[in-house]
Order: sequence, then structure tokens, then C-alpha cells
Amino acid sequence: MELRFSPDEEAFRAEARAWLAANAPPGGARPRGEDLRARREFDLGWQRRLFAAGWAGIAWPREYGGRGATLMEQLIWYEEYARAGAPEITTTFVGLNHAGPTLVACGSEEQKAYHLPRILRGDVVWCQGFSEPNAGSDLAGLQTRAVIEGDHLVVTGQKIWTSFAHVAEFQELLVRTDPEAPRHKGITWVICPMDSPGIDIRPITTLTGGHDFCEVFYDAVKIPLANVVGKLNDGWRVAMATLSFERGTAFLSEQVRLARRIEELVAVARRVSGPRGQARAIDDDEIARRLALAAAEVDAMRAMSYRSISLAARTGVPGAEASVIRLFFSELVQRIDVLAMDILGAAAVETIGGAGEEAGRWTELYLTGLSQTIGGGTKDIQRNIIGDRFLGLPR
Amino acid sequence: MDLTLGPDQEAIRDSIRGFLDARLPLARVRAVAASAPGVDDVAWREAAGLGWFALALPESAGGAGWGVPEEVLLFVELGRALAPGPWLGTLLAAHAGVPGARDGSRRVAVVDDPGDALGAAGRLDGELAGVVDAGGADGFLVLGARAARWVERGASGLSLAAAPSMDPTRTLGRLRFAGVVAAALDAEPTALRRRATVLAAAEAAGVAERTLEMSVAYAKVRQQFGRPIGAFQAVKHRCADMAVRAEAARSAVTWAAVALRDGEGDVARHAHVAKALATGAALANAGDNVQNHGGIGYTWEADPHLYLKRAWLLEHAFGSRTAHLDALAAGWRAA
Repeated sequence: MELRFSPDEEAFRAEARAWLAANAPPGGARPRGEDLRARREFDLGWQRRLFAAGWAGIAWPREYGGRGATLMEQLIWYEEYARAGAPEITTTFVGLNHAGPTLVACGSEEQKAYHLPRILRGDVVWCQGFSEPNAGSDLAGLQTRAVIEGDHLVVTGQKIWTSFAHVAEFQELLVRTDPEAPRHKGITWVICPMDSPGIDIRPITTLTGGHDFCEVFYDAVKIPLANVVGKLNDGWRVAMATLSFERGTAFLSEQVRLARRIEELVAVARRVSGPRGQARAIDDDEIARRLALAAAEVDAMRAMSYRSISLAARTGVPGAEASVIRLFFSELVQRIDVLAMDILGAAAVETIGGAGEEAGRWTELYLTGLSQTIGGGTKDIQRNIIGDRFLGLPR
Repeated sequence: MDLTLGPDQEAIRDSIRGFLDARLPLARVRAVAASAPGVDDVAWREAAGLGWFALALPESAGGAGWGVPEEVLLFVELGRALAPGPWLGTLLAAHAGVPGARDGSRRVAVVDDPGDALGAAGRLDGELAGVVDAGGADGFLVLGARAARWVERGASGLSLAAAPSMDPTRTLGRLRFAGVVAAALDAEPTALRRRATVLAAAEAAGVAERTLEMSVAYAKVRQQFGRPIGAFQAVKHRCADMAVRAEAARSAVTWAAVALRDGEGDVARHAHVAKALATGAALANAGDNVQNHGGIGYTWEADPHLYLKRAWLLEHAFGSRTAHLDALAAGWRAA
């Protein structure tokens, strides 16, 4: 057991830190709000710089333009990325963390050769087409149909909760190709070009007031059969691989962001008055202890992440404990968000949310944080996964 | 960076677990605890012979040359087994150079006195309650603010009264010192207390881990409504939460242990974090384990209550959660 990093890892960290210090756009450079086109262009421009400097696809195979680094180096990169306050990955998330790794694992050589460099180079944005109005947690109940006509699939149906659909080139789309088969056996994972005729995208306003979310309607949309990833009717297995990447390692470095958030929150608690009339909120025992517990839990999150990565480095595969860490993280974020609301007191509701003012920033974090226990599998589904796969409880 | 167990450490863990399974199964723990002095003499001597108290002593001092991480393995197992006896006090005394501690021939309980309530000088005066394992101890390691001292059980001026103990597998004592002459030890009390804090946290992490396993095993076999209760989300999700707490506790304790061994980072902070989270996990998991066992969990005969009571004992050993959280926040609250 060892907390120190190897000389190679330290060298990697130093190189990453130096590059990020010199190249990461300053916080606030990223366009905010409703201009999704501007956000997309900013994100792709940043991705192009990462790619040019060799920092795209840290753990992706070299043959597809990745860096071919170890899992531990990937974690170090994410840590340094968060520490530098580099742009959060939003419009490029699905391409980099979902579709890309899925194609690496399950795609054909043609699919890999075409799509992986475009994702890494920052040419394209991907979106997700998994959930439907009647297939959320019960994803295998999805009903969007695809019938084979010649060398095409013809897709009809509806998807929902698709972030950035209106600025994406491609979509990872789950469709039902065999309605007679058992639920899990008749699904196909297919690459859907978003400029295909018959696609209608309608934005959904979220509780933060933003319009990142969309519903997507498909009216006899033709997609080449060559776009099927894995085999026809084998999409459930491919989708589980996709979700394992989301539940896997990408969020492990979030402890760096959370540690900084605690520091900032302590500074706020030293500045604003306390809930019982104290000059400073930090003088309130309950607030101080909740902050201390949150800080301790962020430390534990770091220890859990390193334990998980070092286990994976030993065995070669990410372990089921990743779902444990994912659940711990999502609920920890929300505890910290609620604590921030309590520290700010009434000021937290005298705002419509936004970055320009102190209370507004924390209120916005609180509101967006509500999605942590919904997206990528609700906390209830995460608990099922832990129960079924980590603990081996009966279904 | 590696927080997993290597082959040597797995062997250490397996050897300790195998010994405790064979010599101190819970039926034996109950029998030992029900009789004075609450220690299994034979198992104690064998464990000492296996080098448990000398795991992290240097080889030049007759030890195995391991460190805090390996001692953590021992205390996780002691927590899982609810092993009765003054294991922690004797191990600390071995580090402090108390004769007879290393080979287990002297059993030692700790008198934790960080505020020097007994005085800072060579003579001790005053009364201290809640001394864990006082019953079976041959003497006491007194950890003051700046000095570690040694007092024989039969020392002149020392009187010992047994106190009731919520945890039936551990004894508690009330000690009265009236001008007791204490021998100064060549050991740093803060370092010993920090080691004790991390090892108590390890014992708590063992409780959190074992109660999770008990709940999962029971939820797989106990049938209601025609199904194993573990198939119901109400029970399954409670078990998932137990798993989260056990993982967090074990990870924090492991981190603290390696940091302590290597003097990496803010070791005081790591010890506070480990103890606060591990006892929190032990208390919550042991409570949930009672709940998951239903009616049988409420009985004396079933084991879940023993783990819950051990968790409370550990909560008050070497600083409560409140004390450790306050220590973490102390710097933020300065002017």
C-alpha cells in the first residue's frame, strides 16, 4: 500500500499541470446560458486544442488517436483538469465518455476509423437517445421501433431527456428491432445522424430554466444498417457497456472539484452571518460540524476513488465498487448543496440563480445538483445495481 | 499509488481471520465475556505467539517490521470477530516499550487522558471512568497530553472498580488514583493516541463490514411473501447504503493508515476523518443490521445487538464523532 505516485506518474502530473496552467481558458471564458451554438463552438474549439497537444482520449488506444495512458494517469489528468478549473465537459460529454468508449469496445473497424478521430479532434458533438417517455429507469421497456428495409433501418418513435440534441451531429440511439423477442433481446444500438430527414427536435425547459434538454421525434427516419454497433438485437449488451463507462471512472476526479467547493463554502461561512444571529455562520456548531463531515466525506471519496483505480489497475477491469462510489458521490454533492443553501440563509432565495452574484451561484449549483441522482440512472436504480451486482442479492 | 492489499497483506489478513474463526467464534466470545476476566487465556497467548502485538515493531526489537496498515488489518478482523480482550492497549504498550507487552505476558488497558485530568507530573491524582478492558488488565498505559506513563495494576494508591458495560464483550472500569507513582515511558503520547485512533477506527470499519455481510446473508435466505427479503427494494436499498458506508469507512481508514506510516500529508486530519466516518458507519450499519433481522434481531440470542453495542463502545474510544468533527473545523473557526 502506497499513497505516493510513481516517478512516471509524477512526471505525467507535472506535464499535465504545466500544460493546463498555460492553456486552460480562464473560468468565465466559456459562454453561458441559452446560446447553445456558442457553447458548442467553444467546447469543440477547446477539444481541438486538447487534441493538438496530445491530451485528448487520455486512456483511449493510440491507434485511434488516444494517448494510451493508464487508468491511474487518466485519473491524474482528470484531477489536474479539475484543479486547473478547466472547462467542464458538457456538449462533448456523450462523444468522449459514452459513444467513444462504446465504439472502442463494440464498434466495427470502419466505425472506429470514421468516428473516433472525429470525436477526439473536436469535429462533432454526440447526443444520447436512450430514455423514452415510458422507458426511464425501465430502459428495456423502450418502444421506438426500427424495421429493416433493404440496407436501412426505418425508425419511428420518440426519445426524451436528450441533452444538446439540437447542436449534435450524431446520436447513440437505442431502438426495438424485434418486438417478438424478450424485452432485452430485441434492442439495437445504432448511430443516428441527426440531420436525417424525419427527425424533429423540441427543447424542454428544465427546472433551472435552461434549454439543454430536448425530446426527439422520429418519423420514418432511414439509418444505414452499417451504423448498427455490435449486432442487430444485441443492443442491450452494448448499452450496458455504454452505461458502465458513465458509471465508471470519469466522475472519480470530481473529489477535486468538491474539495474546492468546500474551501469556498468555508470562506462564505466565515463571511456571512449565522442562522442563530452569530456574526459568522462558521460560529454555528451545527454548520461547522456539517462542513467538517462534508470535508471528511470528500476525503473518503478520494480514498475510495484511488482504491477503486488501484484495484482496476491490478485486475484490468473496473470493479463493481464504482457504482458504490457513484452513489456516494451523487448524494454527497447534494448534501453539500443543501448545506450551502443553509449557510447562505434567506439570501439563497432572493435570487433567480446565476453566476453573477454569490447567492445566485450556490442556488444554481443546488438546482443543477438535483439531476445528480436522476441522470445516468436514478439513485434508486444505482441502489438496485449495488444490491444485485455488488452484493449478489436476489432480484 | 496503490490502496489495495498485496499478497503479503492478504496472507496476514487470512491468517488472522482463520485464527479468530477457529478460536474465537461468536459462541466462544459470548462464553469468554460471561466469565472473568473476559479474556480467553489460551487464545491470547497463541495470538501473542503469532506476533500480533509486534506486527509493526522493528525487527531489531523482535517485531515483524510491518506498519500501521498491517495493524489496521488486525483490528478490522478483531472488530469483525468482536474479539474480547485488551488488544489495543497491549499493542500500544508494546510500542511504548512496556515490558511484557510485546509477548502478551502483560495485558494492558489504556487510560486516555489528553487533558491531563490526572496531572502532568510523575504522581497521578484523580478519578477516570470508562477505562475499556480494565477488568483483565495487568496494568495501565496512561496517555497524558505530553507524557506516556505506566502504572501496575497493584500500584499503591490505585483502586479499580468495575463499571457496568453496555457492550457485554468488553469490560469497563473506573480508576481512582491517589498519589500513584507512575513510571515515565520513552514514548510520544500524541503519536500513540493517533495510532490508537486509527486502529479504533479500523475496528469500527470491521464492524461496519461484518454487519453488512450478516445482513446480506440473511436477506438471501429469509423468505417473506414467498420471496427472499433481499429481493425487496426496501431491504436491498438499505443493504446498498450499508455497502456505501462500509466502503467509505474502509477507504478512509486505509488512507489514514498509509499516511501515518509514511508521514504523508496532514496525518492528524486523516485520523480525524477515519475515526469520524468509521464510527458513523459502524453505528449506522449495526443499527440497520438489527432492523434487517426483524424480530430475531431484537433478541439477546442473535448477534446483531453485540455489534451495535461494540459500535457505541468504539464511538467513545479516543474521541467521539463530535470531537473529531470539531477538531476538523477548529482551523476554520479561528478569528
